[in-house]
Amino acid sequence: MKRLVPSGEMTLGPFFPREFAQGAFDLTSVGGRKAEGEIIEVRGRVVQLDGTGLDNAVLEIWQADHQGRFDNPGFFGWGRAATDGDGNYLFKTILPGAPRGRAPHINFLILYSGLMRQLQTVMFFSDAEDPVLHAVQPAALRRKLVASKDGNSYRFDIRLRGDGETPFFDD
Amino acid sequence: MSNTTPATPSVIERRDPLTQSQGVEQGYDQTFKRWPSQPLQRRPLTASELSGPADLTRRLEPVRGDLAGYGDKRAIGQLIHLRTRVVDEDGAPVPGAVVEIWHCNAAGRYIHPNDSHGAPVDPNFYGAARLVAGDSGLVELRTIKPAAYPVPDAAGWWRPPHVHFSVWGRVWLSRLVTQMFFPGDPLNEADAILNAIRDPEARARCIARLAPTHQGPQGALVYDYQIVVRGRRATSSLP
Repeated sequence: MKRLVPSGEMTLGPFFPREFAQGAFDLTSVGGRKAEGEIIEVRGRVVQLDGTGLDNAVLEIWQADHQGRFDNPGFFGWGRAATDGDGNYLFKTILPGAPRGRAPHINFLILYSGLMRQLQTVMFFSDAEDPVLHAVQPAALRRKLVASKDGNSYRFDIRLRGDGETPFFDD
Repeated sequence: MSNTTPATPSVIERRDPLTQSQGVEQGYDQTFKRWPSQPLQRRPLTASELSGPADLTRRLEPVRGDLAGYGDKRAIGQLIHLRTRVVDEDGAPVPGAVVEIWHCNAAGRYIHPNDSHGAPVDPNFYGAARLVAGDSGLVELRTIKPAAYPVPDAAGWWRPPHVHFSVWGRVWLSRLVTQMFFPGDPLNEADAILNAIRDPEARARCIARLAPTHQGPQGALVYDYQIVVRGRRATSSLP
């Protein structure tokens, strides 16, 4: 069969409707059903080249449930949040378990004005053995994908460009 | 048979650089502040990237199937009917695909509070809808044609009329955000965003097709548009 070429990605632009950007940041329940596992917060700040925080940048996440499964009907592992005027975002979710062959992690994608394609990155909970984390070169960059922990709150800052730039993936 | 999502394994192949923007685009200054300066990393793909949420409407409910309105609530502008089909790289429809659509009004103004463009707000137009594709992958939206508008602080760059799309395919890596353009608009030729797609055929596919005017509902021009999300079925083991 002839392969169709995927549509060209284009920027989200600055005017993604607020009602779409908000309201899906809490993954701890779906359809009134509470997920099993340890509730955590994931927060951070998204900045550009000059260090300015970005307003209304959209982040989407996809993660496994507390046992490392992606097919649990009692947990909906997808969520979306938008940054505030200072570039800060917040997700409320469940500490993911380790999927087979992987360390616990949360997939992130970032959509924004000035990003012609979605930027893909991954947040890890520790500098663990993981094929995706260990694919990052040079190795010194790997620590930028490991969140810092404060109680049940994890901080994952994202620098799109410039000194201390976050590693992003091309697939 | 495993119970993972999706039931049919998807294969994601590398992007073709001619059919996708490479990130930093001349004439679009913000790409120089935001697209990473370091080369993107390669990673092995695992179940994590090749799975995705089944039935996204559990978290995102459909909203507003019609943006044009009727009677004294009718939005100002030329009535259009968008017929968008969501398919994968095999050409197979993606039933249940969630599609978000947003665009500015007939004067070039978005509903967003960050839009400081001086064009008037239309009280009867709220330019945001979330739809779910049917069995044939089709989503239909009755709305009004958006206007062109000048990009602030961009030295005379005007965006041609366009419609924003946000689409989910079968897996995490199928996610697509793009824009649809209208055929024949002279601003298409100079738009830094449309022309980031270097391959002329791929660029042409970002422009909707005007259907014959006798085919559509009365009073509306019909535009057909096809969205191809990433992913194809894993090769069958059958001969």
